[in-house]
Amino acid sequence: MSDTTNSPSSDTPTTVEIKIQGRTIQARAGETIINALWAAGLAEKIQTGCLGGVCGACTVTLRFPDDRPGGTDLACMRPVEDGMEIFPFPAEQIPPVPPVMNPDAGKLRTAFPTLDRCTKCDSCTIACPMSIPVMDSVLRMQKGELDAVAEDFTTCIHCGLCRVVCEDKVKPHNMGLWVRRSLGMTRETPALDQLLVTPADEQSDREWAYLLSADPAERLERARTFRDQGGPA
Amino acid sequence: MMDWAKESLAKVERTRADRMQQSFSKISDADGQALIRKFHPDFTGMTRTLNVGPNAGAEKFPNELADLLEADSPLPENFNPVTDVETDVLILGGGGAGVCTALGLEGSGLSVHLATKLRLGDANTVMAEGGIQAALGPDDSPRRHYADALVGGHGQNDPDLLRILCEQGPASIRWLNQLGALFDSNPDGTFRLRSGGGTSVARVLACRDYTGLEIMRVLKDAVLSGGTQILPNHSAVELLDDGQGRVTGAVLWHSDNGQLVTVSARAVVLATGGSGQLRLQGYPTSNHMGATGDGLVLAYRQACHLVHLESFQYHPSGTSFPEALVGQLVSESIRAVGAQLLNAAGERFINELTTRDVVASAIIREVAEDRGVQTPNGRHGVWLDTPMIETLKGEGTLARQFPGLIHRFERYGIDPAQQPILVYPTLHYQNGGVKIDAGGRTDRPGLWAAGEVTGGLHGTNRLMGNSLLDIIVFGRRAAESVRNGLPERGPVTLSQLKQFREARLAGAPGTLTSPQLYPAASGLKFEVSGKPAVGQPDSTTTARPTPPASEPPDPFAKR
Repeated sequence: MSDTTNSPSSDTPTTVEIKIQGRTIQARAGETIINALWAAGLAEKIQTGCLGGVCGACTVTLRFPDDRPGGTDLACMRPVEDGMEIFPFPAEQIPPVPPVMNPDAGKLRTAFPTLDRCTKCDSCTIACPMSIPVMDSVLRMQKGELDAVAEDFTTCIHCGLCRVVCEDKVKPHNMGLWVRRSLGMTRETPALDQLLVTPADEQSDREWAYLLSADPAERLERARTFRDQGGPA
Repeated sequence: MMDWAKESLAKVERTRADRMQQSFSKISDADGQALIRKFHPDFTGMTRTLNVGPNAGAEKFPNELADLLEADSPLPENFNPVTDVETDVLILGGGGAGVCTALGLEGSGLSVHLATKLRLGDANTVMAEGGIQAALGPDDSPRRHYADALVGGHGQNDPDLLRILCEQGPASIRWLNQLGALFDSNPDGTFRLRSGGGTSVARVLACRDYTGLEIMRVLKDAVLSGGTQILPNHSAVELLDDGQGRVTGAVLWHSDNGQLVTVSARAVVLATGGSGQLRLQGYPTSNHMGATGDGLVLAYRQACHLVHLESFQYHPSGTSFPEALVGQLVSESIRAVGAQLLNAAGERFINELTTRDVVASAIIREVAEDRGVQTPNGRHGVWLDTPMIETLKGEGTLARQFPGLIHRFERYGIDPAQQPILVYPTLHYQNGGVKIDAGGRTDRPGLWAAGEVTGGLHGTNRLMGNSLLDIIVFGRRAAESVRNGLPERGPVTLSQLKQFREARLAGAPGTLTSPQLYPAASGLKFEVSGKPAVGQPDSTTTARPTPPASEPPDPFAKR
């Protein structure tokens, strides 16, 4: 499927020049930084994980010789642009703080004493490759609006950029996960609890006996019947 | 952005109102089978039998994988394993299955090391989007879950493993809930359940289209608070045995310094995941960088049987445009909430909630018979009509329920709420793998396996949402089984490898070595070097992992 000879507009990919840690390489316009590095035989330059923008391994800082804004991003998601200068910017994990039941702002402050050091510089929000309103969410943490915080951090990939750019040692993504886990642990699930204490009855034994036929062909046929009829024939 | 496709897109727009009123009948099982045999990549004949090992002369394997299974070990002939690290349990793999095993061993009093090729959590688990199945609905039961999965797997599933999976669904959700995972819920507080391809009732729980991310970040956070010693950047390159057929450890390769580390363990748990990065038949993949089938290679050299590796899952909706996103997953849930698949003429051609193998085959058929859309890069695909979700379920639905989809495409100037996206099957999941029993035991004592590296559970086609459940259920079961049947420590030898090498010389000589560790496209090579003297204890290769490197330099530290 990679045959390009019959492509409708037969655009040959435009070549751009990028720099990785000061070294100039050619890349195809539109490809990701990681793909450009792989093609150039420089894969080892940037730590890589999922290649899909969700593991946070390939954090980089970007700079342009002209007025285009640089900043931080994920190398597996960011397309190359002419003149782009790329620097690896790995953010090491820090030890987690265990979540607690019934979280509130006070417990969050105890777990993360730097919470109130935020000077509202907004660097965290600018650094976030997932467009999370990080600083606003830190302010919500201070006010104890934890449900909203959990929502804010739904898409957090824990790349660590918001933490490593914070000059005041606030740890937004760690707090976000702490809030989410604490709320998750606290959430009551009565219907599920009820289901789990319901003992297996004769009907379920009968159904399993029907479904677990020793003959493979019959087993498949019975599974089909069960699906269609909601039980044994 | 997509001007090259405007004629076809106009047809999609024109037919939308009518299509939204129409239902598309389900394909019969017989017709589905016929479609698969004609168009599914498993049936293109690019397979061969093996000449070496327990599966020799029997089942066929994809050529790319067969080459790796018959390849030589990278270890020098005279490599003499001398223990650098001694542990009770060595887990190989830092994705969902490996971490669940580690969590299952918390409190056991056993020393546990978890070695992972990349960082902890850089795995296919974190990339799972659509959800996790568990029979929680009022009209549902583990039996119905089982029946759906068995039909989806073409009856090839190991019935005992599958029963365990389905029966453990609700308890697994509870366990995740207790760890703090947040699944999407209905206004009344119950879990929101969706359908998936091949489910007969709504059974899929999700956290938006980031379900794997939610599960993996919670698991990772939990295991980092526990007693497991994590060894990042440590790839398993060979298993060790006691000379009598029992696995007693592994040789790891530390990619930071190129050194080999010999680990002696009483139990080894293989949780190395899948092999999408082998990019069979040139297909793109939705898999993470490390998915190169390493565990299959290691287990096969220990004479473990492999099952159903003729069967791979090509996810119907891999991205086909823009080029930078090619192969990346577009969640099946988008079809579950109503998005239709359309050919270039704007016509539907398959019921979108048929099983993945049938839907993928139907897409390949449309393209093969010239009803597909071609991109400027020469790729092909069909439309996934995402804007109709906004009409069906209300404006803003995509952004609320599928933020991942929106976020990925908006960088490229495409808003899936406004225009359809182009999809084509992408290599997604290794249906088969290492044969295990109900306790996760492989053919070899001392060696357990869990997750995508195993085979049998899913038959020859896995249903959506059953892999996240698989890693939870069987990761934890492997831990329980290890606790209950932990062997004594044995000597570490390469006897099994020696036998494999002798068989290889007779049956499949060649210079290729495996495991491959990295995608061929990355150009990264793994070379054994840096070990000062083969066979000599190496004091610089310590029993402990390197301490976590410090944060990047902090320009404000002096304040």
